[in-house]
Amino acid sequence: MRSMLKTLFIIERTDKKNIFACLIVALSIIGMVVYANATELGNPIKEKSIESLPAKVAMNKFQIVDASEYGDGSDIYKNIVKQYYTYPKQGMALKTEQPELFIETAIELTELRKQAFEMDDYDLVAVNLPSKIENEMDSYYYQYLKENDLVLSFGSLSFYPFLAFLFSIVGSVWFVLICIYASNIMIDDFRHTSLIKGYPIAFTKYVLAKCMTSMGIVFIFIIELIVCSLPLIYFKGLGQASYPVAVFNGEVTIYPIYKYIAVSIVYMICLAVFAILLSVILNVLLRNVYLTLFVQIILVVIPILFPSLIKLLPFNPFNYVNFPSVLNGDTLNLETPVALNSNAGLVYLCISIVLLMAVIKWFLSTGKLQKI
Amino acid sequence: MWAYFKWEFKQFFTNKKNIAVYVILLFLGLYFVLKVAPSYEPIEKVDVAEMEARFTTRDDFIKSVEGKDNIHPSVAFALAVFPQWNEYDRARIDAINEKDYLKYAEATAGWYLYSDQLTVNGDSFFYNPLYYTYGNNYAHADGHYGYGYTASRFTGYVEGSSELSMDLFEERTALQTLQRMLNDYLPIVLFISCILLSVDIVLKDRRNPSLLKGFPISDWKKLLMKGLVAFVGSILSFVPLYVVLIAIGLQNGFGDFSLPVPFYSYIEQNFTNMTMSTFLLKNILFIGVWFLFLIAIILFLSIIVKAEFANLFVSFIIIAAEWFYFERVMGAYSDIERYPTSYVQVGQVISGYRNFVYQSPDLTYQHGLTIIGCCTLFLVILTLIVSKFKRFKLIA
Repeated sequence: MRSMLKTLFIIERTDKKNIFACLIVALSIIGMVVYANATELGNPIKEKSIESLPAKVAMNKFQIVDASEYGDGSDIYKNIVKQYYTYPKQGMALKTEQPELFIETAIELTELRKQAFEMDDYDLVAVNLPSKIENEMDSYYYQYLKENDLVLSFGSLSFYPFLAFLFSIVGSVWFVLICIYASNIMIDDFRHTSLIKGYPIAFTKYVLAKCMTSMGIVFIFIIELIVCSLPLIYFKGLGQASYPVAVFNGEVTIYPIYKYIAVSIVYMICLAVFAILLSVILNVLLRNVYLTLFVQIILVVIPILFPSLIKLLPFNPFNYVNFPSVLNGDTLNLETPVALNSNAGLVYLCISIVLLMAVIKWFLSTGKLQKI
Repeated sequence: MWAYFKWEFKQFFTNKKNIAVYVILLFLGLYFVLKVAPSYEPIEKVDVAEMEARFTTRDDFIKSVEGKDNIHPSVAFALAVFPQWNEYDRARIDAINEKDYLKYAEATAGWYLYSDQLTVNGDSFFYNPLYYTYGNNYAHADGHYGYGYTASRFTGYVEGSSELSMDLFEERTALQTLQRMLNDYLPIVLFISCILLSVDIVLKDRRNPSLLKGFPISDWKKLLMKGLVAFVGSILSFVPLYVVLIAIGLQNGFGDFSLPVPFYSYIEQNFTNMTMSTFLLKNILFIGVWFLFLIAIILFLSIIVKAEFANLFVSFIIIAAEWFYFERVMGAYSDIERYPTSYVQVGQVISGYRNFVYQSPDLTYQHGLTIIGCCTLFLVILTLIVSKFKRFKLIA
């Protein structure tokens, strides 16, 4: 087994595809670092300014009338006017670096939004304001900041927050990328069957070794993600690893950034194993790279196309393929809202991995692959 | 020569990397259909609530100050301009309620022209708040462009004979989506796929030299055929676009080829309409010439440098170059219209938007075609000359 791994490793190391993939991953991450640095990504003044525009648009949907407490404007109008005027306060707090005022106004804003959900005519402005779950996550986030007296960062994204951002971006396409990468994992072996026959090792073990080397490359990708973001330490500093991130796993909770990154990495590893095993099985069944890719992509797309399926089959591992959106609670904004639990998602993924392994083992032992 | 073409063609389409490029394009297209296109929120929406709010606010104001003496000059100004404005808004609201789309288009065109006249040089009014984004020093100009564009578009709907609908007004139909994307990042995506498709077209032969040495055909002709195959292959990257077009068309309607596409003339500072078919044909021609340019670069580099990475690097630099030197209104004081890289945003050049952001009248479609065409021709001739030298043989 060890010598097999060694042989495969030597083959993979010189494979142009791997070198190219590593290069592309490194280049795109460095590109993102440059982008984040150049556009001041996460600069709170900019973000608040962008956030205030939809509120202004919402405000324009109402006749301008007296919005004071006993004025004749409707409740929702008064609410939105109040919301709109918290933004200048927040901007001021940011410019004069007053964290208490900033957090206070932010909590005030989430409270106002919370009230607005219950009001008549909310539908009119629903598209311009954040959804319930987004507001709840904001609310938890600022409450947490207030309770724990954390130092608010006023600059743009530093290293740790950038990593969290990077993992949430990469995570949403991770499964598809690994599918593309691994889609031809077994194809070459079907082309040159005589080569495999010569190996003094059982075919199951060969498949296992092959999956393990692929996983090795995947680990290199993950390490690359972290290493290539290091330049940001020079530009923007390290940041706080314990800074909170609001996430949704059945209910809104707060993770520190390092936990968020850890969860993302665990998810990415599980998804990679899942994708590789799926590729193996589809390769065996379909014997064609493109059909394999096509089936995989179809499986990913189906829950997006038919959101009602997610509620029907919450244990479908493909619901959790886009794990950053699960962690954001995006599934609550669907036409058929459903609360997916990210921890349960990991369990479902692991179960699917075990099932896939069992299926592969069964395939290889019942002579389905006699031709090899 | 024909046989060699077929041989190359077959190799091109059985190349794993090439098929991966098509598959990725298709996947991007599907993602666009499912996620990006439905979440498109135009600034110039058809929003009845907003119109009604504006109308009633102004109407109340007129009623409350009408007939009073000793009014402030700005109130007098408001009294002078609001009635006409309200008339347009009234007509728009009524038309929506009656579902009379032609009347809506007419009133909307009038509304945008009138609003623009009042806003552009005055400081009493503003454009739609969504134009005034953080750090945008040209928001007012953007608003002016947006209002002019919308007014021209709606005038086109009134004059044309297309079947009108809400999706049409918000530019959501298939052809209009294509037009919007051509004004956006679609050309860049196509160019990148062209580069990825043709990057190894020459250098792949170096893997099996003995096989190819026997071909009784000169290097120069081989290169020509390779270029042709790469061009055909790049043109075929439009195929995933058709899938996207059909998918969007089934959801939001297809639109038709006589729809108006506003064209901004920098010299006259106004908008005129061309038809959708003209716009698309011009785009296809321009993108085709760009493909030829990129392929010529790759062929030339392939025989000179003989490294795939150099091909990738140089051609990506060509595409990204504008991004490095781009600054708004820089056309007023520099000769950006002389660089081929300024024409990479094909759709924006054709619709005149590039003239607007650069503030330069010379960045035209004809000018671009000439420059890119000349560069291509020059590179092809250079390749022809170089390929005659023994030193730069295709297969060493």
